[in-house]
Amino acid sequence: MAIPHPRDVQLAVVNWLDERYPFTKAIDEAMYQRVPNFANAFYYCFGGMVFVIIVLQLLTGILLAIYYVPDARGTPAAAYTSVLFIQSNVYLGWLIRGVHFWGANILILMVLLHMARVYWTGSYRAPRELNWMVGATMLLLILAFALTGYLLPWDTKAYFASEVTIKIMGLPPPPQLGAFIKTLVQGGPVVGPPTLQIFFTTHVFLLPALIVLLMYVHFRLIRAHGIAEPL
Amino acid sequence: MSEKGISKEGPGAAIAEPKEVQIIELDGHGGHTLEPEWKRLPIGPDHILYPLLVGIALFPILMGDSGHHLADDMPDDETHPFFPDHFWPYPVIIIVMMITLGLLAAFVQKNLQLEAPADPRAVTIPRPDWYFLFLFQFIKLGPELLMAVVIPTVIIIVFLLWPFIDAIAGPPTARRLGWKRWPVPGRNIYSGAGFVIFLAIIALLEAWALAGPGFCLPWFTGQVCGA
Amino acid sequence: MADAAAPRKVTRRNFLGWWMGIILGALTVAGAAPIVVYLWPAPPKGQKKGPVNVTLDKPINQMNDGDAIKFDAPSTPNTAFIMADGGGDNAQGELAFGGFVVKNGSKVDVFAINCSHLGCSVALNAAAKTFDCPCHGSRFHLDGSVLQGPAPVPLSHLTWKEGSDPATIQIDGIVLGF
Repeated sequence: MAIPHPRDVQLAVVNWLDERYPFTKAIDEAMYQRVPNFANAFYYCFGGMVFVIIVLQLLTGILLAIYYVPDARGTPAAAYTSVLFIQSNVYLGWLIRGVHFWGANILILMVLLHMARVYWTGSYRAPRELNWMVGATMLLLILAFALTGYLLPWDTKAYFASEVTIKIMGLPPPPQLGAFIKTLVQGGPVVGPPTLQIFFTTHVFLLPALIVLLMYVHFRLIRAHGIAEPL
Repeated sequence: MSEKGISKEGPGAAIAEPKEVQIIELDGHGGHTLEPEWKRLPIGPDHILYPLLVGIALFPILMGDSGHHLADDMPDDETHPFFPDHFWPYPVIIIVMMITLGLLAAFVQKNLQLEAPADPRAVTIPRPDWYFLFLFQFIKLGPELLMAVVIPTVIIIVFLLWPFIDAIAGPPTARRLGWKRWPVPGRNIYSGAGFVIFLAIIALLEAWALAGPGFCLPWFTGQVCGA
Repeated sequence: MADAAAPRKVTRRNFLGWWMGIILGALTVAGAAPIVVYLWPAPPKGQKKGPVNVTLDKPINQMNDGDAIKFDAPSTPNTAFIMADGGGDNAQGELAFGGFVVKNGSKVDVFAINCSHLGCSVALNAAAKTFDCPCHGSRFHLDGSVLQGPAPVPLSHLTWKEGSDPATIQIDGIVLGF
């Protein structure tokens, strides 16, 4: 029996797939899509950079979760020592944590730049209002990411910064409502282990799910609308 | 070992025979005239990188059909194909980004270092990270409920609903000013300047906070210092 | 379309619409209520209210007028004090992890350490005889009243009584259980 050339094997696989879903058509459509020349300006790439960093954050976040322990009982707590362990003992732990940390900072910067560009060129105008709102919601989610992630190392600055934030969340009148929100967010009468558990769950399960969903909607809408006209 | 029907020479070397290239008619919109064959993507179903392309294409499959775009109505010399003309900077951006983050992680360790373990009995000045610092400074400037809850909430709502505010309030303002139309913020003295002033206020608050606790300025409520 | 002023007729179609709406609404409430109840924090095992013994750096009977002594809540087991009153950010029943014993004339006050603005720990300014908040610059007199904003109301008191020896006081508190 003649050994088939790898290229023929590949063609056979592609044909098999094509009979089940029009992959080649999808590739053609996606790859030959025309893009206006004005979209080559550098300030049109901030959105793409945000996407790249979010993917990087998801990857490094999963890697950090392998060693991180969301336990705030005792001083120093396991949460604190596990971050210390990642930073100083885990092979390349400093790199993964450093990329996650700096990625978060640059992500916020890029999101703001992207938003500023969209605002400045009026790209939020009809029919793209919905996508502006999706994007604005994602900015709020990113800030929620930053807020909840800040507490996770469980050091002094994290503790007190979160305490102030939770106090602010407890401000809305009437006082009963404020106290209700505060107790729920805090998971108890003071910032403590339950708070870390709640922030961890939000940072690691809830927010990533939401942002991936919204990113999907954001991209589908961009694909449906195309790139907005320049200034 | 069959290589029947595969061109081995010329610019279209790796692509399948021309007869296998289908002209794509997109449902519901005019589509775009395909590039002449020699300009087409040099990665056909038989190319070794084709699986990679299928991988990339999963993304547009997920994204669904594209609608009728601005570029579809533009002359060819004002547009370019997505792949590779528009795509190639992104791998470069990814590499630059990863190198930048790696260098930051390696050489700017100061921000990454942990402080003492959290202890509610410790006496410290809480200071948020830079992206909340301006808000932290803003709260000092008035009654806490107003500054910490009411105004930020109003700003967030205006921000979310901005496209509608712009569309509803813009045209009448333009008419009152005798303008023919209400331009985008980049060409509009009002919405453009408003944005710049908003950013300037945030930058000033940020600088005020960064100047430190020793830097105090008179304010209506008394001396207000940085963070 | 029917005229808006015309009397609405209950048709099978809009009856079913309302019926579906009610069912889905009830389903949402029935689904969300247990979630909120579940999220409401339960007290950890070992959480217990009661008087907490605190040893001061200096016995109360040796304090001079205008002296203030800082003390922390014990950390083993992790304990907090319960505020007796409050306003602003503080409130009766809120917790504090430290406080000050202050002698004002013949009166001895025990204050929770938290600023009434946003709850930062105030620090004693021994030179000016004030409590200064490092966060937003609020200042308090040694009797707890506000010297300078943004704090809106005085510091919170803690409920206390003298302990078995002069250097010890008993303050109402809570063993947190974590």
